Amino acid sequence: MAEPDAKPTKEAEAAQRRLGAAGPQASASTSGTRAAGALEPAPTEEPQPRPFGEGYKLIGKDYTTPDLLAKVTGKSKYAEDFRAEGMLFCKLVPSPMPHGRIRSVNLSQALALPGVRAILTADDLPPQPNPLAERALTNEPMFQGDPIMAVAAVDEATAAEAIELIEVDLEPRPFVIDPLESLRPGGPNPHAQGNVWVRSGPPHPGIHLTPLKWTAEDFADYDQGRLPMGHAPDEWSYGDVEAGFKSAKLVLDESFVTPDVSHQCLEPRTAMAYWQNGKLFMHVGTQSTYQTVPAIARWLQMDPDKVVLISEYTGGGFGSKVTGTQVMIVAALLAKKCQAPVMMRISREEEQYLGRARPGFQGRMKIGFAADGRITALDMFVVCNSGGYGSQFDSISSGNTVSLLYQPPAMRWRGVTVMTNTPTRSAQSSPGGLQGITIIEPILARAARQLGVDQVALRRVNAPEGKSDFGPANHGVRPHSTSSFLKQALDHGAEQFQWAQRAARPKRSGTKARGVGVSLSGFGAGSIGYDGLLVVTPAGRVRFHCGIGNLGTESISDVHRAAAEVLDVPWESCDVVWGDSSRHLPYTCPSDGSQTTHAMTRAAHAVAMACRQRLQEVAAKALGGRPEDYEVANQRVFRKGGGGGLSFAQAAQHAIRLGGIYDGHAAAAEVHPATQAAAGGLAGQGLVVAARDLYGRDGSTYSFVASFAEVEVDVETGKYDVIDFLAYGDVGTVMHPRALGGQLLGRSTLGIAHAIGQKWVFDPQYGAMVAKRFYQNKPPTILDVPVAMQWNALNLPDPETPVGARGVGEPPVGGGCAAVLNALSDALGDEIYQRAPVNADTILTSLIAGRPMQHPLMANI
Amino acid sequence: MSEREEPGAGAGASPANALTRRKFILGVIAGGAVVSAAGYRLLAPRAPLRVAGGERLLTLNINGKQRRVEVAKNERLAWTLRYKLGLTGTKLGCDRGECGACTVLLDDVPHYSCSVLTQTVRGRKVQTVEGLAAPDGTLHPVQQGVMDEQGFQCAFCMSGFLMATVGYLKTNPNPTRTELAHGISGNLCRCQDYNKILDALMKGAENMRRA
Amino acid sequence: MAVVRDVMPAFDLLQPTTAAEAQRLLQQHGAEAWAMAGGMDSFDWLKDRIKRPRVVVDLSGIAELKGIRASGGGVEIGALTTLTGIANHPAIQKDYGLLAQAASLVASPQIRNQGTIGGNVSQDVRCWYYRDGWPCYRAGGNLCYADTPVGRNREHAILGANRCVAVHPSDTAPALIALEAQFVLQTPQGERVVEAEDYFVGPGQDITRINLLQPGDLLTAIRLPGTWAGARFYFEKVRDRNVWDFPLMNVASAMTLAGGQIERIRLAVNAVAPQPLRLRAVEAAVRGLPANAATGEMAGQLAVRGAVALQFNAYKIPLMSNLVKRAIGGVPEATWA
Repeated sequence: MAEPDAKPTKEAEAAQRRLGAAGPQASASTSGTRAAGALEPAPTEEPQPRPFGEGYKLIGKDYTTPDLLAKVTGKSKYAEDFRAEGMLFCKLVPSPMPHGRIRSVNLSQALALPGVRAILTADDLPPQPNPLAERALTNEPMFQGDPIMAVAAVDEATAAEAIELIEVDLEPRPFVIDPLESLRPGGPNPHAQGNVWVRSGPPHPGIHLTPLKWTAEDFADYDQGRLPMGHAPDEWSYGDVEAGFKSAKLVLDESFVTPDVSHQCLEPRTAMAYWQNGKLFMHVGTQSTYQTVPAIARWLQMDPDKVVLISEYTGGGFGSKVTGTQVMIVAALLAKKCQAPVMMRISREEEQYLGRARPGFQGRMKIGFAADGRITALDMFVVCNSGGYGSQFDSISSGNTVSLLYQPPAMRWRGVTVMTNTPTRSAQSSPGGLQGITIIEPILARAARQLGVDQVALRRVNAPEGKSDFGPANHGVRPHSTSSFLKQALDHGAEQFQWAQRAARPKRSGTKARGVGVSLSGFGAGSIGYDGLLVVTPAGRVRFHCGIGNLGTESISDVHRAAAEVLDVPWESCDVVWGDSSRHLPYTCPSDGSQTTHAMTRAAHAVAMACRQRLQEVAAKALGGRPEDYEVANQRVFRKGGGGGLSFAQAAQHAIRLGGIYDGHAAAAEVHPATQAAAGGLAGQGLVVAARDLYGRDGSTYSFVASFAEVEVDVETGKYDVIDFLAYGDVGTVMHPRALGGQLLGRSTLGIAHAIGQKWVFDPQYGAMVAKRFYQNKPPTILDVPVAMQWNALNLPDPETPVGARGVGEPPVGGGCAAVLNALSDALGDEIYQRAPVNADTILTSLIAGRPMQHPLMANI
Repeated sequence: MSEREEPGAGAGASPANALTRRKFILGVIAGGAVVSAAGYRLLAPRAPLRVAGGERLLTLNINGKQRRVEVAKNERLAWTLRYKLGLTGTKLGCDRGECGACTVLLDDVPHYSCSVLTQTVRGRKVQTVEGLAAPDGTLHPVQQGVMDEQGFQCAFCMSGFLMATVGYLKTNPNPTRTELAHGISGNLCRCQDYNKILDALMKGAENMRRA
Repeated sequence: MAVVRDVMPAFDLLQPTTAAEAQRLLQQHGAEAWAMAGGMDSFDWLKDRIKRPRVVVDLSGIAELKGIRASGGGVEIGALTTLTGIANHPAIQKDYGLLAQAASLVASPQIRNQGTIGGNVSQDVRCWYYRDGWPCYRAGGNLCYADTPVGRNREHAILGANRCVAVHPSDTAPALIALEAQFVLQTPQGERVVEAEDYFVGPGQDITRINLLQPGDLLTAIRLPGTWAGARFYFEKVRDRNVWDFPLMNVASAMTLAGGQIERIRLAVNAVAPQPLRLRAVEAAVRGLPANAATGEMAGQLAVRGAVALQFNAYKIPLMSNLVKRAIGGVPEATWA
């Protein structure tokens, strides 16, 4: 199809110029400027948004992803869609109480029921030396719903009947649902070892649980509706906070409660397992095909080489299926015990217990402002509800996010991470970022009103720019972002949203009030150092081996388009292998923390550059001359300036003849051992190229979003609707516009959900979750968001990564929540809410009372 | 005034006086009364009940074909489709009629197949996502709309949305975006890709009108 | 002894095709039988293994109980008519728009396609303690878990509570009360016709029931008299989510005016009490007054007399007041430039 020895096309030349052969430095066309107290940049240097895909053939263009046809025809198989000969079914036995200890069990009646094959208890699990670690089953349940046993039977009906025949004597233990209750003088501990997670440094670094009680004096604030601030184990600061408050024109001090919100993936964490020839085969949903194998091996204490994981399609993750979930080993262990395949179908109620959730915060923040709205000092205190197992890092992340997004010149952050007898938490899109943004933004909105400063202007004056410092100093140096164009996102977003016009409109008509809100948003968006692996086949196609979990963010294919772009190969000649750990997968980042697009476009770029090099070498060996005499384009490697060449097919055939480093029998020394093994598994299949991302990076990679919302409230019922929304992204080079739009608005909507209704509700007297069904815990429907939402992106490349692309999953979330909250206070004033979500009940009663009528501090109402 | 008893932490302020009551609550919490495990509820045990139901051979009209299948008395359509007939495109997201992932058409009308007894669909026309494309593989115009617009993310909800849309378009072939949103509002997307879903399904409706 | 959910126990399924046969089966199996219409309420109870009938009588195959027909100056709606069927029916839309609107706001499209009017008015309460199988008063125990000092009761009752503080969740019930509907019951003693508002049983009367139906009884039809056809209607449902949600509260009114004065009026609210409430005192107070904001204001104040807030549901008092106000005086339209 391609002309022999054709010149690279103009587009390809441009793309290769932009992608560069020398790594990120050469590609940095729009460097951020280091902020460090710098003045506003001169208008002439103002970076302007770029059209998506400008100068590229594939990057920034829409296309049909390779997984879509199977999805749209119903042929895509998720974990529960598999069936195996002789398959048994398993049901979990949930703890009825929030904290207890099994005194005795009687399984005899259950085991005697016809059709019951086995009952697994915590005693059947591999030993776990850490008594505080989550296990798949437990003899000391830490929350209501924590699985204590599992029954395998010929069908679910039999398993369920057997469970009702199990006699369990559970000794109730003290429990606590609300972190603040555990911090009260004499308050209960969720576990015998204590209630608060404390990080210790050398000589015994780690995290341990310890009792921490505040004093009655500390708690005096509670009765005034303000968060008590007793001793906090985690603390950092920089700058002169007290001086900042002294110099401030306005100082505000507010408490705020953010909700615990379940991930509620639509696909519950079902798992199916069987053993064959000593190997474990598992069908699960996961956020990483590659990373879940070692996790399973670790939980089962077995050799990862003996684990085969199949997960081509996963029905949502959002941080809750990072390397799957431990409970899935129950299926594996029962399959071993019964010597038969076992399906563990997780029900929606079980998913509510086991499916993870974002930790709710009880937070307080004091901020000083100059007359123009610039923050002079910021003092932040957060209590993080970390659930029954494990210490979540949301509190730490919240401090860093606030520090980066709002650039306070002086800041103190204190955090308390509390164990409670509530379900296990995990990272959820923008972990800690959402909470931090949700706590600070309403205070900024209030300050702007009190100072008479425009809301957008107040955020612009505080927003980061270029390489911006954040967080505490480490060894005397504060970390900084790789780049930030958030001010530009704010400007262009305000223009697109017609902020000025909307803000100037009347706010009341009839019983309706309208308001507009803006928020900054952002989160970490990229890691480095992973591997790419591809095969140029003797048929002339390029096959990418991909260890990314398929969550539908489209990163399984998007990232490889960067490699195809570098190789100048049409996408129609590319294949992607994903979702099966037996298919020779390279060392791959887990798809969490929005790192994949950044990390794996770097790996893709690296492997494409290595592939070019190998093609040049193969051509030189086959046709004479030096490798640098050859160039690669149009699926050929050919002499510069005309002359002989090889098609990709011919080059692949030649690579097989050459063997060694060319066909996978050897792999580049710098790649991860797993990648070396994967390349070895492909040996002889063509030109097999593995490479590691060794590109440098100055700074931590963050993406940013400016979020805008408009709400309309009925003041007689308190009911409100979000009637318009815009997320404007500073997310680096746009790889795939439709996928990006889906992420910007989808993840914004997760944030909106935190504002408009999603929550946990617990009865604290019994430690029981009462809102277990969707109609009770309120994930948003299609009618709860504007019917036509807006998104846009600057498409300015990050200067510290070769393709310029950063991640986007987490960055919009906090802005979704805060823009809606701010729009509400714009419509109704500042005395409406002091926690999220905000619903009709709050609005109606607060309007009448003239002050917020929510319980100021209680968790999980 | 209703007569009510105050269980739990004992005597308190008049429930009629919300302000007093609120203070009282704070006092109770401060006193730690809420964390007593002594009053822990236990659900009343029940003897398992076995009913000789058995399975019955039914002939069902699925995607235009007559399918003979053994069906239990309490079996829901989603079970029959997924586990007896291998039509796993129909997903179970909640099994409670709260997510829509299991939506199929019964006589062209969208239903939650997790909440339909299979025994009740005898003589009715059942259509699932597998029945949308033509036998030669040509996609249904609504499916094509999703391909055109790269709609949906994880897609666990997709087949339910497709069936709800195809069903709704039979009653309103030329909907506004708002009308279509209402028409498919019984389907939940947890990737919350609603905007792109509506783009795709509006394109699907347009494809259908052109077809 | 351990508890497991989401696996529906086996039952025998009986599928009558006539109302008479259904009635015979229900009477034959008495308390062991469960009558299932659309099943949207039933399945939750069954899947949670909390209700364990030996026999389920599937009513969905009874053609004679479906459909809407003219009857004595009004219409008769078969109890198994779906909510979609009612919301889209031309005669209902034309003369009884109040009911069409109420039906169209229930749950979700798929639920309305399957859920029936009989089921919607006969469904059980949605208190999350009760629905989760807690042994509360309504479940035959001796506690209310929602009405404790820390019980979570945002969605519970402000009026009419008696040990149980759950609210009735139906959207169509207040519309039917406002339309002066009659419910037709087949009982072992023969046909019984009751006023809509008398169909619902409060906890003071019998805490284990929510309506008049006893084992062996069957609700077969709902009759709308011609009395209120084409009257001035108001319906509003306030809920957290815009679809798929039970009401935080709803209100329904039907009125006729003479010379700007309220001549006749019927007014009902739901989700404020264990049963739908007809607000007779308000009706009486506003008769003869102009249907305007001032009358609405007065009516709203009157409506909430005696209301008692629980810990987390105080908002229901002003909400009820405002909804009643609107039902009488209307809502000024917002006009945005």
